[in-house]
Amino acid sequence: MDFRIMLAELLGGLWISVEIFLLTLLFALPLGLLIAFGRMSKIRIVRWAVQVYISVMRGTPLMLQLLMCFFGPYYLFNIPLAGGYRFVAVILAFSLNYAAYFAEIYRAGMESIPTGQYEAARVLGYSPVQTFCRIIFPQVVKRIIPPMTNEVITLVKDTSLAFSLSVLEMFTIAKQISSAHTTMIPFVVAGIFYYVFNFVVAAGMGWLEKRLDYYR
Amino acid sequence: MLRRLFYLLLSVAALLFSGCSDGESGTTFTVGFDADFPPYGYVENGVSKGFDLDLAREVAKRNGWKIVLKPINWDAKDMELNSGSIDCIWNGFSINGRESAYEWSEPYVDNRQVVLVRKGSPIRSLGDLAGKIVAVQTDTPVQKALMKGGAKETLGKTFKRLIISPNYNNAVMELEAGSVDAVALDSGVAQMKTASSDRFVQLAEPVMTEQYGIGFRKGNIALRDAVQKTLKEMVADGSAARISGRYFEGRNVLILKP
Repeated sequence: MDFRIMLAELLGGLWISVEIFLLTLLFALPLGLLIAFGRMSKIRIVRWAVQVYISVMRGTPLMLQLLMCFFGPYYLFNIPLAGGYRFVAVILAFSLNYAAYFAEIYRAGMESIPTGQYEAARVLGYSPVQTFCRIIFPQVVKRIIPPMTNEVITLVKDTSLAFSLSVLEMFTIAKQISSAHTTMIPFVVAGIFYYVFNFVVAAGMGWLEKRLDYYR
Repeated sequence: MLRRLFYLLLSVAALLFSGCSDGESGTTFTVGFDADFPPYGYVENGVSKGFDLDLAREVAKRNGWKIVLKPINWDAKDMELNSGSIDCIWNGFSINGRESAYEWSEPYVDNRQVVLVRKGSPIRSLGDLAGKIVAVQTDTPVQKALMKGGAKETLGKTFKRLIISPNYNNAVMELEAGSVDAVALDSGVAQMKTASSDRFVQLAEPVMTEQYGIGFRKGNIALRDAVQKTLKEMVADGSAARISGRYFEGRNVLILKP
């Protein structure tokens, strides 16, 4: 097989992986914050429900969640599926799953801020919303960057699970080329692509961490 | 303390690895198969079953080999075979389009690639597939045929989309759920699906016909010949036909001549 054709096919697959990656972050990052609030809510029933959600999302395989998101509407509620739902189901499953992990990271960040800061903010006349937006959250973001980087890098590699719903991302294309032409080269190329992708992600997060390190 | 921990880890590792080698004496015959491919090879209640696997078991028994049935990832079958982790691929394995890639046995089953649709679907012929979404399993001859450069490229071009599923079960689930309009698959699998459920109908006109063989590693002629000889003996004494009857409602699907 022509190396250039192989590269073009793998790059096409990489684009699908990047799409899954970006869309998942777009939805999971805010959703995770919302879930973290729920997890720390003063209302017991909300706290309890969110705890169950996090437990289920972390306790079952993402591949199973993908299948549930795609086939669930039909097999549980008898709603016929449209072809365009496939990619939506992938993003839905990834976002719901990653939001659960992100929520716990946010919570760790928020709980690491000393109570004294809340009290000081109140004395200075900040409303609770202002306190969170201007004082607490900026510090949380700084503190959670290292664990977030971990999760985000895992997400890059998890995009290969999308094939359980027949979405052809890079790793699946590499497998197909490999099996059709009996060669290991596509795996090597895919490995390099994943590494470069993650290297860029890690470098970006490192840059962000440095930018936010303004108190030292 | 640290040293004790190290020895503990070492002994655990040794235990794990010793479990991997077969240890026992005698020749083993390792058959790689796709566990999602009924009635040729599948896993039911934790037991590997199927027409091809029963044939393989009988061949191993007659040669005094110890049989190992290894479910493989269909995409990785060449690596499994070439690395020596399996001795052959025996699982509804189409010769067509792969003639020079393996050391093949003589074809033993004629297979047609057919189209499965939902009951009551407006699709009645291959021509009706125009503008429809059709699913196939990854790395199968029918996928290759329908795609660019394949033998059935013109038919494939009429589809709205060709969906590549990780396995047959996924494709058929998608058909049932309505996210695809048709599935192109092996007639043996299609018959099993139409027999077990009245929700599917098979189109009379096949997409293509092909033949199944047993694929061995290039150059492994000795094993190929030994297996083929035993298989022919089984055809001659009728035991192969009995195995076929078990999986194909009494019919003998074998085309191999003794």
